[in-house]
Amino acid sequence: MIASEVHGVLAAIVDISSPKGAPWEFLVIFATLLLGPVVIERARIPGIIGLLLGGYVIGPHGLDLIGSGNTTIPDLGQLGLLYLMFVAGVELDLNLLRRHRRAAIVFGLLTFALPMLFGTLVGVGLGWQAQAAILLGSLLASHTLIAYPTVRDAGLASDPAVATVVGSTVLTDTLTLIVLAAVAGSVGSGRSSLDVAVQVVVGLGVLAAFSLILLPLAAAWAFRLFGAERSVRYVVAITSFLAAATVAELFGIEGIVGAFFAGLALNRLVPNEGQLMDRIGFFGGAVFIPVFLVSVGLILNPAVIAQGETLKLAGLFIAACMGGKILAAWLSARVLGFSRAQGELLFSLSAAQAAATLAATIVGFDLGLFGSSVVNAVLLLIFVSVLASTIVARRASSRLGSAEHGERPIGARIVVGVGDPSLAAGALSVAVRIARADGGVVDPVLVVANTAPFAPKAAHQRLLGAAALAGVDGIVSTVLDGSVVRGAMHAGLASEATLVLVVEPPEWDAAEREEARLIGDDHQSGFPPFAIVRGTATRLGTVRTLPYAGSGDSQVLADELARRVARRTAEELAGERSDWAGRLAPSDVTFVSARTGDSTDALMPELPGIVVTTLAPAQQLE
Amino acid sequence: MPLTPRLAAIAIVLALGVAACGGTGAAGTFAPRTPDTLTVATAQVPDPGFWSGTATHPTGGFEYELARALAAHFGLARTKVVVVPFAQLVGGDLGGADLALSDITVTSERSQHVSFSSSYLSAPPAILVRPGTQVPDVHAAQALRWAVQGGTTLQRALEETIEPSSPPLVLHHQREALGALRSGRVNAVMIDLPVALAYAREAPHAYAVAAQLPSEAVLAAALPKGSGNVEAVDSALRALNADGTIERLAEEWLHTDVSEGSDEQVPALRIES
Repeated sequence: MIASEVHGVLAAIVDISSPKGAPWEFLVIFATLLLGPVVIERARIPGIIGLLLGGYVIGPHGLDLIGSGNTTIPDLGQLGLLYLMFVAGVELDLNLLRRHRRAAIVFGLLTFALPMLFGTLVGVGLGWQAQAAILLGSLLASHTLIAYPTVRDAGLASDPAVATVVGSTVLTDTLTLIVLAAVAGSVGSGRSSLDVAVQVVVGLGVLAAFSLILLPLAAAWAFRLFGAERSVRYVVAITSFLAAATVAELFGIEGIVGAFFAGLALNRLVPNEGQLMDRIGFFGGAVFIPVFLVSVGLILNPAVIAQGETLKLAGLFIAACMGGKILAAWLSARVLGFSRAQGELLFSLSAAQAAATLAATIVGFDLGLFGSSVVNAVLLLIFVSVLASTIVARRASSRLGSAEHGERPIGARIVVGVGDPSLAAGALSVAVRIARADGGVVDPVLVVANTAPFAPKAAHQRLLGAAALAGVDGIVSTVLDGSVVRGAMHAGLASEATLVLVVEPPEWDAAEREEARLIGDDHQSGFPPFAIVRGTATRLGTVRTLPYAGSGDSQVLADELARRVARRTAEELAGERSDWAGRLAPSDVTFVSARTGDSTDALMPELPGIVVTTLAPAQQLE
Repeated sequence: MPLTPRLAAIAIVLALGVAACGGTGAAGTFAPRTPDTLTVATAQVPDPGFWSGTATHPTGGFEYELARALAAHFGLARTKVVVVPFAQLVGGDLGGADLALSDITVTSERSQHVSFSSSYLSAPPAILVRPGTQVPDVHAAQALRWAVQGGTTLQRALEETIEPSSPPLVLHHQREALGALRSGRVNAVMIDLPVALAYAREAPHAYAVAAQLPSEAVLAAALPKGSGNVEAVDSALRALNADGTIERLAEEWLHTDVSEGSDEQVPALRIES
């Protein structure tokens, strides 16, 4: 009322019109992004629900601020949907899947198959056409790790049950999207089942080859070429998933499948703790994914939800989905030997329906397979499942108590201490390989003497360049300290690094030798394992290990690091030096396990290539 | 919520039992007024590009073929056409038809009388002129003599966006406005872009499309207010869009791809000075 009066007064004075156009639409959408989660979270309801409800409020069934003919918001929402699936793939912890492979496969298959079966049967019972019934089953079969932050904050991230669910997400989302691809390929095409199957199989094959082989190579090349430009790295990631989505659509497969595959493909290149992931998460969490959720909310129609048919559908979906998820969690807990509370964790983490469910639902809607009743019923399912997931996760977490934080893999966070950036290439390349194997991140640290009269900006820039060339995604920083070794170790301690690599100083004076020896010997200091690296090759050749005299303490570290760099068990140099010395090329990497007591005398100055001398006590390793 | 597999099993069995009793289709259920027949209302036949032939014997056109595609989607054997004046259609009287396909632009006012489906075509207002007339900007447009069909969104677009220097000729029917343009009584007619393109293609010696106005206007099917068929028609239109039917029909009958927003070949009218 007041607004209209003010508008009237102003209109009498100056030429003023009703708000419209792009700025107005963006104002409405961003105000919704701002207020939706804030308001709903006051009621302790997850923000995702606030965004969906916000979409309804501004949409054609609410205040009609965004009309039904608007294409801007749905187009942005489409980008958000691709972004959502890309993030789902890129942030998955593939190491957890690897380490808990068996449990993840058992649970993944059960938590996919049971809701899939029950959902499909519900659709068939309702008399739906086969594609709609199968799509319904598949969208109930996926899950989104909405409650993961709750259990992670409770210190349960490394609990086997949690690791099992996180690992199984790769399986359930992939299977869901494959079913979606098959269903979408068969709708309206008028082709035989065999034709559709061939199309989908060939399409998925090409997509997998593009995403899992070509894309990582291209992205790694682009990161090396443009790596120093932070914004360019981000755009490379965006371009990657859009390219994969385009390739998918060339074969009649939904773009979200391509985006998800792109996420899996770049998983190793984009470590979860790296800067690029931080940026991807920031823009996704702040804009793209919320816009998608708001665009879904535009479809929300209370008049449709209140209809008996919609409520009936919602009840059936909830029963089929939650029932299937509970049975899968219960069966898996028995088969895998988990406790009751761990079984509840399995359920709570796999119950929430959001990302893939919404994606598949919207695709089904766009294809005309689902009407607005089904979409609104699915939105009710999402609401109920997210609430159930959050509540059960809190309860199960408190019952399990604060678990011990699990061991982090050796490559989770690597600090590379550098005195002279021109010598850092070899250490950075080795660090990147180790970190990539563990889904970790590398933080280069320029160490300058604490007596330096000014900040060495030029050296910092050179290190930035070397880091970009090596594909490093961590933060490059500068510290002042008494020596490179001590500066690197202090930086490693401060950032809770799992490994410190120190670039061998050109002038390795007696004081630094003594310092390295002391750190290597100091089992009680809390310092992470560390190694000295010499060599400037950027492309790594053959990886080998060289056990040095009496070097039992760091043998395990050398073997572990070598295995990660070589991506298999590294060859051991045995016998007399004359037997193998001639085989070592300048780009080869040799891991020397030295005895800490005389470590600094054992840096093998005569060895060519990159030499990594490990100095950590074995018991510090995982 | 404790893990209660027994409760879960009971819920699933109950759900399957309820589902087995049947329900509406996943994409909604279409119930025609006349068995096995889709009855479609439109304001005029022929209507270049959209309807050809006569009301009793329609032979083609974008909206006629769209009606046939909808009938096929719903598994209906016949398509019956009834002609109802435009004002009557947007006033909610469809003459007993299941739905109306008649270049109807979605507006909130009309939504009070009819239920609209999802859109099937973008339809920004366009300026139809005689060949050789240039309309580069709004100032040039203001100087023209205009004709427009009364009671339409086009009349509002003309009055609010162009603000002609002389009062426009407001006529009851689109064909009267076109007659005024042909006879030289007016220099320009405000008309939906897809319709304008169809006229210009059919009679290039008589008509040219000078410009289009920025707009989010869309064409949609109109159904009787509160019809239970809206969800099914919505889903069917999305399906026809997804499988390329609508795009194909637009290319075949309107000779242009207007399904994804404004037509690139028609310049946008410069509004800012």
